[in-house]
Amino acid sequence: MTLGSMKRRRKRQQRANWTREIEDMTRGACGGFLFGVPLLYTMEVWWIGSTVSSPLMLLAIATTWAIVFFLNRTEGFRRTANVSFTDAARDTIETIAIGLVCTTIMLVILREVTLQTQLSEALGKIIFESVPFSIGVALSNQFLSSSPDEDRSQSSQQNNALQDEAPKPEISGTFADIGATLIGAIIIAFSIAPTDEIPMLAAATSEVWLLATIAISLLISYGIVFEANFANKSKRQQQQGLFQSPLSETIMSYLISLVAAAMMLWFFQQLDFSDPASMWLSYILLLGLPATVGGAAGRLAI
Amino acid sequence: MSNVHSDHDSPSENSSSETKQPRSLAEQASFSIAVLMLATLVGLVCYLWLGRREQTSPNPVVITKPIEELSGQFHVPFELMNQGDSTAASVQVIAELYIKGAVVETGEQQIDFLSSHETESGAFIFSQDPREGKLLVRVASYKSP
Repeated sequence: MTLGSMKRRRKRQQRANWTREIEDMTRGACGGFLFGVPLLYTMEVWWIGSTVSSPLMLLAIATTWAIVFFLNRTEGFRRTANVSFTDAARDTIETIAIGLVCTTIMLVILREVTLQTQLSEALGKIIFESVPFSIGVALSNQFLSSSPDEDRSQSSQQNNALQDEAPKPEISGTFADIGATLIGAIIIAFSIAPTDEIPMLAAATSEVWLLATIAISLLISYGIVFEANFANKSKRQQQQGLFQSPLSETIMSYLISLVAAAMMLWFFQQLDFSDPASMWLSYILLLGLPATVGGAAGRLAI
Repeated sequence: MSNVHSDHDSPSENSSSETKQPRSLAEQASFSIAVLMLATLVGLVCYLWLGRREQTSPNPVVITKPIEELSGQFHVPFELMNQGDSTAASVQVIAELYIKGAVVETGEQQIDFLSSHETESGAFIFSQDPREGKLLVRVASYKSP
């Protein structure tokens, strides 16, 4: 083997390592969003974060570390059975860091952390909100990942069998996706819709931050279904219907989640037809975020 | 973290991933960033803890702004700021309008939550012009959260 080809091989290997690392991070972040978003829409947690003292913040970090370490040590991040103590400890630090980044981004977008926020208050909010995010990151492989190889062969066999018997019309695949999106959106957002958090967040937000909310909703939805390599991803890629281009699926499911959010808000009388359009828009977009996360998870479940 | 899927990403690597592999540059980099972030966070919390002065009680102070007349009503905007170190909850702001020595109108506002150095604003609305009498706006009470 020549020196040049060895160099090329090493370069390729390095690139593969980076890709894998980024994929792992994305998957972890998506798990964090699935688990952490409902608590993000809970004002009591913001208040606890605002008033908590520094020793309690340290205790919260330590407790999170212990829980996540335990998850990583048993079945959390790794597939291999024997995870060494140091590996689990390193993974735990990365898990918490991913949780902290996701939480900070969300709190900034939801205007719970702004430039005017006191440092102690911002830290308290970020630390307390990051607990479920970190646990979600640690669980991301556990509860959403199955063996992709197995999945692929099984699902392709199933698909082949189905297609042999009766070719599945595109339209039913599309309906299945719409249904799954709606169910997922309702499961996550139904418990948020009647609460006071949506009006409170709407009062604090502005047009720029609503645009940021739309962007992050689309990004998370795309991440969960297409980048995260969760369970059933390969099956999804073989599924037919209008939903099958990644971009169109993400946009379609976002719109469906927004409709679901609007209906839930109307159902709980948070919105009625005499309310101004701007109020409808901000409420729907803010509830649309958890609804989209739920919708994306719902589509993975079918 | 990144070893997680190495066992299925390429079957030929399967056996080697079970034996200890040196960590790749990507893993080292992400771990270093993670350590840096966590250390910064813990450092900031410790800095707050050690640098904490003797905490003073909540000190909500109310300031009124120039009166505006809108649709025949008189709006008195106010700003409430907590100048103390501790958080106050249920901060009650009272406005009383005295004309010829007697209270003719009152207003009351309750702010749920006012953390240290946080500012909240609002307005009292009167049907009579407060400039013709004496307006008293004060913080009446708060509770510890």
